[in-house]
Amino acid sequence: MSERTEVLVVGGGSTGCGVARDLATRGVDVTLVEQGNLTHGTTGRMHGLLHSGGRYAVSDQASARECIEENRVLRDIASHCVELTGGLFVKRPEDTEEYFQEKLEGCRECGIPAEVLTAEDAREVEPFLAGDIDKAIRVPDGAVDPFRLCVANAADAHAHGARIETFSPVTDVLVEDGEVAGVEVTHESGAGKRVHGREGGTEEIYADHVVNATGAWAGRVGDMAGVTVEVRPSKGVMTVMNVREVDTVINRCKPKGDADIVVPHETTCILGTTDEEVEDPEDYPEEAWEVDLMIEELSELVPMLTDARTIRSYWGVRPLYEPPGTGTEDPTDITRDFFLLDHDERDGLPGMTSIVGGKFTTYRLMAEQISDHVCDVLGVDAECTTAEEPLPGSEDFSVLRDYMDEFGLRSPVGRRSVQRLGSRADEVLDTDRPNPVVCQCEAVTRAELQDAISQSGTDLNAVRLRTRASMGNCQGGFCAHRMANELHDAAEAFDRDTVDAALDELWQERWKGQRHALWGEQLSQAMLNHLLHATTMNRDGAAPEEFSAFDAGGPNAAADDSGGPTGPAAADGGAPAGDDAPGGDRGGD
Amino acid sequence: MAIEADVVVVGGGLAGATAALSAARDGAHVHLISANESTLRQASGLIDALGYPNPDGDDADDAGTDAAPGPLADPFAGIDDLPADHPYRIVGADALRAGLALFDDAVGDLYRGGHTDRNALVATTSGRAKPTARYPRSMAPGLVSDDRATLLVGFEAATDFDAPLAADRLAAVGVPFDVDGVTVEFPGEYRADAAVTRLAHALERDEDAGEGRTSRQRLADRVRPHLGDAERVGFPAMLGDSQVEAVRADLSERLGAEVFEIPTGPPSLPGIRLADRLFDALDEAGVSMTTGTPVVDHETDGDGDIVRVYIDRNGAEIPYRADAYVLATGGLVGKGVDSDRDGPVEAVFGCHVPAPDDRMAWSEEGAFADHAFARFGVEPDDRLRPVGSDGSPEFGNLFAAGGVVGGADVAREKSASGVSLATGLVAGRSAAEEG
Amino acid sequence: MHDTHDTHGDCGCDGDEAEPSAATGEGAVADGGTAAAPDSDAATDGGTATETGGDFEPVDVFEGSEMDLRPGADSCYKCTSCDTSCPVAEVDDSFPGPKFQGPEQWRLKRKEDTEVDDSITGCSNCMRCDSACPSDVPLSQMHNTARGEYVDNQMDKLSREYLRNRILANYGTLAGIGSKVPRLTNAIMGNSLVQKVNEKLLGITAERDFPEFADQTFRSWWKQRGGPKVESEDKRIAYFHGDYANYNTVEVAKALVRVYEAFGYEILVPDQRCSGTPMFANGMLDDARRSAAVNVENLGDAVEQGYDVVASCTSCSMALRQEYPELFDFEGTERVAANTYDALEYLLINENVIDPIRAVDGDQLDLPDFAYHAPCHSRNQGLDRQAVELFRHLDGVNVEDVGDSCSGISGTYGWKEEKYDYSMEIGEEMFEHMEHAEGETGMTECPTCSMQMEHGTGYEIDHPLQVLEAALVDTDVEI
Repeated sequence: MSERTEVLVVGGGSTGCGVARDLATRGVDVTLVEQGNLTHGTTGRMHGLLHSGGRYAVSDQASARECIEENRVLRDIASHCVELTGGLFVKRPEDTEEYFQEKLEGCRECGIPAEVLTAEDAREVEPFLAGDIDKAIRVPDGAVDPFRLCVANAADAHAHGARIETFSPVTDVLVEDGEVAGVEVTHESGAGKRVHGREGGTEEIYADHVVNATGAWAGRVGDMAGVTVEVRPSKGVMTVMNVREVDTVINRCKPKGDADIVVPHETTCILGTTDEEVEDPEDYPEEAWEVDLMIEELSELVPMLTDARTIRSYWGVRPLYEPPGTGTEDPTDITRDFFLLDHDERDGLPGMTSIVGGKFTTYRLMAEQISDHVCDVLGVDAECTTAEEPLPGSEDFSVLRDYMDEFGLRSPVGRRSVQRLGSRADEVLDTDRPNPVVCQCEAVTRAELQDAISQSGTDLNAVRLRTRASMGNCQGGFCAHRMANELHDAAEAFDRDTVDAALDELWQERWKGQRHALWGEQLSQAMLNHLLHATTMNRDGAAPEEFSAFDAGGPNAAADDSGGPTGPAAADGGAPAGDDAPGGDRGGD
Repeated sequence: MAIEADVVVVGGGLAGATAALSAARDGAHVHLISANESTLRQASGLIDALGYPNPDGDDADDAGTDAAPGPLADPFAGIDDLPADHPYRIVGADALRAGLALFDDAVGDLYRGGHTDRNALVATTSGRAKPTARYPRSMAPGLVSDDRATLLVGFEAATDFDAPLAADRLAAVGVPFDVDGVTVEFPGEYRADAAVTRLAHALERDEDAGEGRTSRQRLADRVRPHLGDAERVGFPAMLGDSQVEAVRADLSERLGAEVFEIPTGPPSLPGIRLADRLFDALDEAGVSMTTGTPVVDHETDGDGDIVRVYIDRNGAEIPYRADAYVLATGGLVGKGVDSDRDGPVEAVFGCHVPAPDDRMAWSEEGAFADHAFARFGVEPDDRLRPVGSDGSPEFGNLFAAGGVVGGADVAREKSASGVSLATGLVAGRSAAEEG
Repeated sequence: MHDTHDTHGDCGCDGDEAEPSAATGEGAVADGGTAAAPDSDAATDGGTATETGGDFEPVDVFEGSEMDLRPGADSCYKCTSCDTSCPVAEVDDSFPGPKFQGPEQWRLKRKEDTEVDDSITGCSNCMRCDSACPSDVPLSQMHNTARGEYVDNQMDKLSREYLRNRILANYGTLAGIGSKVPRLTNAIMGNSLVQKVNEKLLGITAERDFPEFADQTFRSWWKQRGGPKVESEDKRIAYFHGDYANYNTVEVAKALVRVYEAFGYEILVPDQRCSGTPMFANGMLDDARRSAAVNVENLGDAVEQGYDVVASCTSCSMALRQEYPELFDFEGTERVAANTYDALEYLLINENVIDPIRAVDGDQLDLPDFAYHAPCHSRNQGLDRQAVELFRHLDGVNVEDVGDSCSGISGTYGWKEEKYDYSMEIGEEMFEHMEHAEGETGMTECPTCSMQMEHGTGYEIDHPLQVLEAALVDTDVEI
């Protein structure tokens, strides 16, 4: 089976989704393929900082200027993905005054609003900051939900005719007559694993142009096409706290280093990060010392982190790139700028462009520049509108309505739902069925889950990312099985095998990250989860071989004097009313 | 002065209650102190003794697959297969038997299963058959080895139990009966997030559920069209609180089929009923009780025996004195075992809890694998006294029972309650001997 | 469910004089009006920046900032033990239970999210969730703080509910006025027309009879008596009687004096105001703070002079021991908390009560058998068993525990018109157990539980101190 499209985008991260949306809204026929779910790679494994540019204001002012510009754009077009938290660069006594001043001037030079706060004022903003800090610079950092943003981009691309295909790794790049002609993908969909989009084995997708937007995986796609793309993957740990100890992005005001940022993210805070070059973007060690480092270093800024509960840690791999021959030793010194590699120009291989480096905050700008390039190649003449057109979910709407009244939700539940759904809240939450909260930690209702299932099929990890269900303090202990039940209960009525496979996959994914948080309260939680799922539900134990070998009920059990259909009702609990013999009330409901 | 007793039991769960009853039966005046309500309130109410002595089988590759060994029909037969440091190996099969007998005696008519040594199989909310030694009377008609056709009923707003899915799963493992599942709306006007206790209360009191009908009438009406050939009908365990038998009898009569309860995770009414029944048994046995106050400090004499413990009432420390003490504070869940990034420690007396040095070795990659943390707890000597890292008892007169005792992965073995009963019995007896 | 903006209280048994403006209608409205400013401070106090050391400590770094209890959610592992222990959630499905109300709601907050779900007003402040939680989540503190924020930020200060709650919360002020002319007040309050008017105008249920005022207040009796009859250097207690024992159940206060003097204690009766319990329960944290300031100062002085504080009402001792340290940080708050005891508890720790009780021939006493109910606030202090276990040693008098259910009145909760039915439904189990018990007289430590017990069964209700008085003071047994 083969398909034809104008542009094939490989990679469902922020760049790929951004390019797909940009091209689709310019009227180009686009197909996007992604090996996992959207944001499977680096995008889904970042700390969620929406840069003000402050972090680059000393070292890389060009990036800093781009950041503040895009920061403003995203507040407009992606309001339901962005939280305007503000950020602080906090100076401790041992950090130099010189750098503090450089930072302040740098921000001002780049047009980043920056204001100096005294220690007292900073602690008014964030009461849990350490008592001995010197002062801070306030900048307009924010928090962004990368998954929600990618989904919104993909949804808008889809609405403009694009095909979005997840769980479809590229297994070959088709080179014909010295030109990239398309790719071969293998669909992982199908019975037993998951159902989404289309089922089937391999598919060849022919395209006028291929955009390799696979980030840290760009070298692999390059290899398939016979070109070399020197990505230098660098890992970093992110440690998730159970609650928001801070509501503002907290940066350490010093030149560079590990463990220097706390980002409030939804109900949690994320501590980051390390920067270590790795060989393979999919296979690298995740080490306990990295987590310890986050807690120990960042508790110098926010002391209560020492004993606060972490619920998991995860690692991401930066797609760092530097042009051949630069020879930077330390990955933290590699530029965060992005590079557009025109393989026609660079390697004499027309038909494909790779995009490497870059950072999340400026994804839209990158997408615009790539799309401009692709349009040039294809001879398409259309203007980019992505800086003005709001994303689905961020259309103008009033949040001032009382969602509790309207949808029968408790106010914090309604509030969180609306914060996630934005302008889609109405269509999603308006349901005829009982709408219980399924994930209590994150206040996710059945209606929201069913909406996510209708978008992402049986992949419960994608449902999780869309809704945040199972991402709270119990890490799915009390809701993973309920989420699976929703699959069985969905309009598509997915069957038992599919539901079980989806549950096992979600459960394992939740477990993986928690292993890095197993002490204190989260270890108690893990044991409670273990008891609930192994003891109470017996999800782990093998089935009996011979049922008849077991107790079938004692003489007092099966023929119980009061449990039996003919037994007399006990006096206390309200005997059946005389005028209401069983059977006589058939059809009463 | 101090509040005096022969034996002080610290911890009010199943192990603490068993130890207190065991010591009181041997003539000791017992004072039971518990920091909070019993974690029995979170438990399903089943009394597991031993289901899977070797959950992974002999071949690690079999773990979690169909090739892994199925549950034991005779829990006592599996004890010798357990590792040598398992609490059952320390106290022996007789202690388990005696612990179960003490339990049967304490709970009376509330439970079933005492007529045989064999495990029963009970269907869980996730549609698995689970081996257990004792089960609430309200669950008795639901046993999986019984071959009567069965209907499972779930409620729309109760998202943890999908009855059709559970029925499907049971059918898939070849249970010896026809099974079907249906989801209905709970009768009456309740918010979707009404507490389970609210719904149980409505059934218990048979409240007005609208249209001039009561909640039990309307529930029966809703289930009846789905009955088919079913001779028994299972509901999640929320059929009333203390009057569950009356609720069952009434619904059974209305449906013409035997109604039973299916054990759930928390909130669990059967767990609450059990906690209440054990409280009554302790009261009848003359055990003194203080609940809601943690033990925060202790004093020892020159021989390393504990002479007093202190409870905390918002800053006021109140002394309790006894000849012997039982530690039954639970494991990681009951907070008898505390931990930080460096390692676990017993929470009240600071007893040694062995653990691998490397934190990543506390757990395994597979979610249901053989995790070291699941076995965290104090290491007991042959009299159940916690020992230090040097192998000698931490205190001469402190005996440990239940979840605080390490060495058993009670979740995967399905042995949690049995371990509490067996060690509680022995610890209580040993403590009474000291008195 | 939006037509009511009520909050509930617990035991209304505290305090002495209060500011008249705090509870009269006009004063309340005027005062409340200013508190309604959206940026008004939470009624929390001081507190220092803390590095939490395992246990969660509330943090309120700057004077007047809102108390941030989000990190308290760190301890919750979702076990729902709190929900299953909640007597309100069991009968009222509009109340989602303590887990949602506490750790979940706090965790879901962001800094700019000030709105508190109005179901917080369903909580009766029985505080059973605190002792149910295996993980030490500061549930009642979360409830109290959220309720205070709700009342400050979201409740209409001109509403009938606010006025009614303010009046119920400041019972002591009314009582101070009413008890000046006790017979007249009793006659008026007992008038069914007055009760109907109260219900219509204020939303105070007409189903209940107002507690009668004693002819002479305890403090007046104490003064007339000339203060303590026993002097002691080393055995000294400062008695916190609360409003109720002062104005209504004066016999309880007198029993305490007689019993403690029999054991050789010198008694001080310091100036005091309402403990604040009904104010916490109604989110009137400013009122509670004013009362607490006076109490901590006066009781702190007494503690300084070597007195231990003893209360005969378990809600009063609960407030002094737990709520004050959780919500306020006056100089000496912790020290007062650490030196406060329930009256029976204190004797059991410090005196040999059991042997004299054993020596009494109960059959010779004119005592009935009792059906004993442990108030929630005694249960939360681990004191629910002490009366039953002590009186096991009193031959001839049967004291039967009627179970662990809540009485349902929870101080001011059961006085609210819209909560009355729930209150009686919660109490149903206790009424049934009382009727099944052998004794036909009730016994409890809490004055409002006592009202509910009487209301539901018609029994007379005694306090354990009155039984002790009969057994140890009115006989010639050697102590």
